[in-house]
Formats: sequence, structure tokens, C-alpha cells
Amino acid sequence: MSEEMSAFRGVTRRDFLKYCTWLAGVMGLGEAGMARVASALEAAARRPSVVWSSFQVCTGCAIQLLQAREPTVQNLILQQISLDYQDNVMAAAGSAAEEVLRQVTEGEDFYWVVEGSVATGIPGAMTVAGRTSMEVVDELYPKANATIAMGSCAAYGNIQAARPNPTGAKGIAAYLREDGGVADPVVVNLPRCPGHGDDLIATLTYALVNGELPELDAVGRPVFLYGQTIHDTCFRRGHFEAGRFVERFGDESTGDRDWCLYKVGCKGPVTYAPCGRNLWNGNVSWCVNNAPCQGCAEPDFWDELTPFYDQVRGGDLPGLYGVTAEQIGIGLGIATAAGLAAHGVGTAIRSRRTTRAGEPGRREGGEL
Amino acid sequence: MPKVVIDPVTRIEGHLRVTCQVEDGQVVDAWNHATQFRGFEIIMRDRDPRDAWQFAQRICGVCPTPHAHTSVVATERAMGIERVPDNARIIRNMFEATHVGYDHILWFYLLNAFDYVNVPDALNASPTTPALQNLQSQLRAVVESGQLGPFAGHWWDHPGYLLEPDQNLELVSHYLQAIEIQQISNDAQARIGGRFPMVMSFIPGGMQERLEIEEIQYYIGAMERVKDFVDNVMVPDVLALAPVYIELAEQGQGVGNYLSWGLYDDASQEPANRVLPSGMILDRRITDVQQPDLNEVRMFTKHSWYADDAGQGRHPLDASQDPQYTELPPIEGETLPSGKYDWSTAARYGERNLPMEAGPLADMLVAYGSGREQVVSLVDQTLADIGAEGQPQVLMSNLGRIAARVLREKVNVDFAYQWAQELLDNYGNGDMQVYDAVDVPDSGEGAAGWSAPRGALAHYMRIEGGRIGAYAAVPPTNWNLSPRDDDDVRGPLEQTLIGVPVEDPERPLEILRTIHTFDP
Ligand code: SF4
Ligand code: SF4
Repeated sequence: MSEEMSAFRGVTRRDFLKYCTWLAGVMGLGEAGMARVASALEAAARRPSVVWSSFQVCTGCAIQLLQAREPTVQNLILQQISLDYQDNVMAAAGSAAEEVLRQVTEGEDFYWVVEGSVATGIPGAMTVAGRTSMEVVDELYPKANATIAMGSCAAYGNIQAARPNPTGAKGIAAYLREDGGVADPVVVNLPRCPGHGDDLIATLTYALVNGELPELDAVGRPVFLYGQTIHDTCFRRGHFEAGRFVERFGDESTGDRDWCLYKVGCKGPVTYAPCGRNLWNGNVSWCVNNAPCQGCAEPDFWDELTPFYDQVRGGDLPGLYGVTAEQIGIGLGIATAAGLAAHGVGTAIRSRRTTRAGEPGRREGGEL
Repeated sequence: MPKVVIDPVTRIEGHLRVTCQVEDGQVVDAWNHATQFRGFEIIMRDRDPRDAWQFAQRICGVCPTPHAHTSVVATERAMGIERVPDNARIIRNMFEATHVGYDHILWFYLLNAFDYVNVPDALNASPTTPALQNLQSQLRAVVESGQLGPFAGHWWDHPGYLLEPDQNLELVSHYLQAIEIQQISNDAQARIGGRFPMVMSFIPGGMQERLEIEEIQYYIGAMERVKDFVDNVMVPDVLALAPVYIELAEQGQGVGNYLSWGLYDDASQEPANRVLPSGMILDRRITDVQQPDLNEVRMFTKHSWYADDAGQGRHPLDASQDPQYTELPPIEGETLPSGKYDWSTAARYGERNLPMEAGPLADMLVAYGSGREQVVSLVDQTLADIGAEGQPQVLMSNLGRIAARVLREKVNVDFAYQWAQELLDNYGNGDMQVYDAVDVPDSGEGAAGWSAPRGALAHYMRIEGGRIGAYAAVPPTNWNLSPRDDDDVRGPLEQTLIGVPVEDPERPLEILRTIHTFDP
């Protein structure tokens, strides 16, 4: 095998295989998967073209993508993908940038990554080159190889869509279904706030390796990434089982002893996301190291899972000490296996709120 | 009289259009248009005040930490908390140090450098080191593949690019190193705060967690690597670029009023005593630093897409937050903006309704004018290095805005260790407290100011019935990218663009450069 490959020029074989091993691990493919990942990447005739659109954004997802480590961003940009339009890092501006977009989207295949929500109530709340987010979706969705909603805003509307949703913000799939006239839109949701760069890289590679998009759960998330709760993979879980809870911030029960954060607001038991397995920022940490999970991968968490520092809604747990996670799940009425199968997690959380808190669920958009 | 519109302005956070009127090769009038609205202040009403900072940091995913920090302090003031435990003060400084560590590096290399560094020209270099040869071969592969990725379509043949091929290749390699270094700074932030962007561990009253020794050591190790890059790569790069692009010292003088709320609390937790102190400079009088008052800020909406405030400026908490979108003029044609043209409101200061420039230049000038020793020597040395000894006023320019960001980064990495040492000293003295619990009161009002990497940032909160009754954020955008106010006085960027030369209206590189000096 030569030291350098065509698609990965400048990368040693060793680094390349290390990268493939990492990807296979994220994708849950194991040892055999590594070879599949490697041969798919080597066989690719050209780097997949990626167009990244920013709608109603804070740009946190793009900044998180710049924290991607395997591959390094250098390898990502120079070797793995062709990031043809991304308005935070591209050199071109103004009409020159729009000309690049036109050429890419009218020519070859491209993957379309969206960051940010679609403004449907006040379309002019977001324009780029004079076009509203709705106009951009209408044009690019039908042309793209695949549409990937990066982060909770593109997936579900997120913070803009929180009560009272002043701009009518929606996720891509909800916009397409409700206003865009697409009955059954295909959008891969990669929620979390911000979206995690590793999720995007793993999803693009999955599509390249398998020739198809990954299986999605009821709220559009790839099951291979979002199949478990935070609680399932939490390093504080032993303390939860043993009934050792942080009662007050700042004392030794949190920082030094890592007791469970459930009582100070942890939403890990109701949140499906891979944070406990694939950590953040070069794998040095994740939220629950330093604070309770806020449930940012769940639809409508700003309304459904706040206040952040109050125990997850659903009332006090009878006999909390020593109960199992499954009993707690039932006690809370949260989405465990049955809820997930029947309605999807977000729906289960919303219906819990509707019935428990006696308040009507919010419907301005933002769900799915 | 050509109209020049740049939309999108790329390499920034959020969405921006800039319209310029160009005559005889220079800009004669300008309008900036923030083209995004999300309605944070409306969304935050009637929620738990303790959650405010988590909402507020989503205002900007590039600078979430200063938003989180400023919002938490505003919440504390509204709750009646005047000071936090000393360890919380120090940990907050450590957060800011990692954040500045990343932010200015990101700006200088990823968001700004391509205005001066010509990527395709790097292929003409004759590198002698294996690393640069390897990089050049990777770049050549990208160019030959026909898929230029983020380098596609730019005005690379513009005559305004002045570096030699070897310099271009070298700076492209620093660009790639910069990606790695900003990650190291962010890793440290994540290590002490859970993740980045969107840190997790602030809380009104202090911090959720004390830092463990291992976390403090991680922070020190990361900041050492950042400091090494700043001292040996970033500062030399700006000193190498400055003489080549010295014409930038003649451009972009701006409005001449500078505002800083200050950065890095000392033990007194007083803004005027901060490492970079709060202060303002009016009419370019560097030696006459005055103390700004958060309650003297007024917001104007005549040219912004909000209900008019009856021709008067209002306190941020009382200003209109009621969206009333009209339209953007078409990019083509001669129509110039009039009436409402911006989602940003116009922030003005004091009785004279002054537009104020915010940002690292303001921070450095205020610190310089206040006689902060370390800043004075750093600025004087830099002026000498670029041949402008004893003339701090040359900093009031496009070149000065660039240099000030790099100097601010330098101050940051020099101070970063001090916080770790102070924390270890407190621990050594048995002081482990990071949090002081206070209940949310029924009513209250508070404000806080801070210098984010982009400049003066303030948050305001009113508590009513134990919930958020009103909330307002006044980030640097409301200063620097303010539209005209109710007296039709231009905002700082609009003012700064006037007089900027435009060699080719089809490729307005000089306009783009000027916009980027504000890190909009
Ligand atoms: S409740 Fe939160 S902190 Fe506790 S074990 Fe579950 S996920 Fe971890
Ligand atoms: S741990 Fe919770 S809050 Fe943190 S990123 Fe994961 S889902 Fe979001």
C-alpha cells in the first residue's frame, strides 16, 4: 500500500487508518467496520461537496465544527469533504459567494447542511443576499443529495421557537411538511445545542460507506448516534442508583465526589444523545462533568425542560432512594421503551407536560 | 454613482449586508443592515431568572461565554447580589481567559486573514521545510481537483494583495495552526465548564462547581501552549503584515468615541479596577478617560425594524422590542436605503446621544489612557515597531483595530496564569467557596457590563413577580453596527466606511477589510 492515497494525499497510512477506526467506532461498526470505512473513503472519486446554509443562527454549530478533532479540521477541509459554501469560513463574499453557491448547487451532487431555524412568521427576520430562509429551503431541498439539520435550531426551531416564538421559527422538516408542501420530508436531524461536529462527520461518512442515510428515530435523529439516554451512559449513574444526590451547588458532593445531579435539575433521564460516549471538545469533557444536562437534544427543551435547575417535572418520586432507573422512568411518565415506540421522545415529553401540568402543549412550530 | 452592496458579508457571526455609495474611487455614504432577528428579549420574558444566562449565551455562538457571564452578573444585580465569592470571581476570569484565547486567534486567522493573504499565490512559493512543502502539495491537490472548497470564487486577482508567495504560504500554514490552537484554548474552557460553545457551570451567586486541581493544571498547560503561539507566531505575523499594508493606518478613523465596560475583575470586583478598566474616551482625547454609566445608554429605533419610540431614545429595558419589518432594497439598481433598514437598534450614550466605538481598540485605548502599565509598554513598543513612536492616535484606524485585537490577546495570555495562582492560593488558605445561594426576589432590577472580545457588552434585567419582567442585551453590534439614530447620525461602521478607497467596485476588497476590522 502506498504511503499516500489519491483522496487523502499528504496523510500517512497510519493516520488514515486511525481516523477510519475512530469513525467506525462512532458509527458503532467495530473492527470489521474499519475496513469498510477505509475502502469507501479510498474509493470515493471526488470529495463529497458540502453546502452549509445558515438561517436563524448564533453560529455555535459552525464554531463547534471547528472543534472537530478526528479528522483534524485541516484534513476535513483539505481532504475529506469539499466545504464549498459556508459563510463563516469561505473567502468569497457578496455576489462572488452567491455565484459559488449557484455553481455548486446547479452542478454536481452535494450534501446540504443547515444550521439555524426557518423564519416563517416574519420571513424577513432572516435574509441572505435578499432571500428569506423559506426561499432558500424551497430551492435547495429538492436539489440536495441529502439534507442534514445540524443542531437543535435546524432540527426543531430551538431557542427562537421557544414561547412565544416571535418569528414563527421552525425546524427544516416542520417547515417542509407544514408550509413547504412536502408530505414526507427526509431530513437527518443532528440536534444538541450547539450541534456536535462529530455527529456531522459520522453521518456524512455513514452515507458514503453505506450508500444510504442512517435509520432515524421518531424525531428524525440517527439511531446509531442517539439511541441511548444521557442517563444510560452517565458516569454519575452509580450515585443515582445508590441515592447520592447533589442538593446544593458548589459543595464537595458535585466537583470532587461526582454525585448525581438529578435533584439540581439534570435532564439526563429524559434526553437521548451520545454525549456520555462521544464527549465534547477533543474528548476532554462533557456537560455532566460540570453541570446538570439540560436536555438540549430534545425538541422544545427550552419550554418543556425548564427551569433548568429544578428537578425534572413530574412530581416527587415515591421512594426515590434505591429505585432503579426503569422505575424512575415510569414514575416520571417519561419516554422509556414504550413511549419511544409509540410517539417518539419529544411527543412523550410534551404529552406528559400537557397532562401533568394541566397546560396545553405549545403548537407554534418547533416540534420535529 | 455606483451602489456597492455586499450581501452576505462572509467570515462573520450572523447575517450582515453593507450598502455603500461609491464616487470617484471612494465610499461617500454607507448603511449597515443586520439581516437577522430572533426575538431573545421577548422569549426571555416571564421565565425563571436563574435560567436567563443559558438563554442569553445563545445570542452569539462565537462569544457565548461573555454573554453568559454578563447575563449572570446582571441577574445577580437584579437579585440584590453585589459580589460573588472570590473563587467564583477567579474561575469566571479563567473562563474569560480561555475564551479570549480562542476568539482573537479565530478572528485574526480565520475571519480576517484572507483579506490580506492570497491562498492560490502560495503555490508560487519555494518552500524549504518539509512541513511547508507538504502543505503546498496538499494545496496543489485541492486546486488541481477543481474543488477549491472554502477558497473558491474569491477576488484573489485583486491588486490589493501585496504579500510575497513565501509569506502567503507561511500564513496559510499559520491559519491551519491557528485552528489547532483555538481548539486547545476551547478544550480548557470545556474542561472547566463542560463543553464549548455553550458553557454549563455559571449560576447566579457564583459557580456550580469548584475546580479540581487537575482541572486547574489542565488550564495552565493549555494556556502555556496558547501563549507560545501568540508570542512566537501571532504577534510576529501582525508585525510582519503591518509595514506591507501600512496604508491601513490612513483608513477607517471612525467616530472617535470609545467605550469599554472593562475586563477581568480584581478582588474588589469594581469595573474601574479591572485589569482592562472600564472607561470611555470622547472626541479622541486619549488622556481624558471618564467612567461610563450603564444607565446612560439609550436605544433608538427610527431606522430599525421595531416600533418607533416616539423619536426619543429609551433605556434598554424600556426600548421597543416590537418587530415591524418593512423591506430591504433590492441589491441591483440605484435604490438606496431609507426609512427602516436594520434589525440592529442604534445605541447611543449620554445626553449628547453619542455613537461609541466598542472593541479591542476601545479597550486598549482606555487602558492606555488610564495608565495601565502593562498596556502602556505593550502599545508603546508596538508603535515603535511599526515606526509610529509616540503617536497612539495612529491606532484610531483600520490597522489599529487589527493590532489592538492582537495586543489584547497578548495581555490575556500574560495574565492567564495569575488567575490559576490566585485560585490555588485561596484553596491553600482553606477558602473553597464558589457559590452563595440567594433566593430569587419578588422584584428587582440590575445591569452588568463587560468587554467581550468584540467589545462593550451589557445585559439588563428587571424581575417582576419572581419572573423575568423585562430583559435587554446591548452587545457591541448595537454600538459598532448601529444604523442611523433618530437624528440621522450614522453608526460607527457607517461612519468609518466613508472615505475608504475602492479600486474596483466589482470587487470591493477594501470595504470588506474595513468591515472585518470591527469583527462584526
Ligand atoms: S440524573 Fe443526570 S447526573 Fe444523575 S445519573 Fe442520570 S444523567 Fe447522570
Ligand atoms: S449532556 Fe445534555 S445538555 Fe449537554 S450536550 Fe448532551 S444533551 Fe445537551
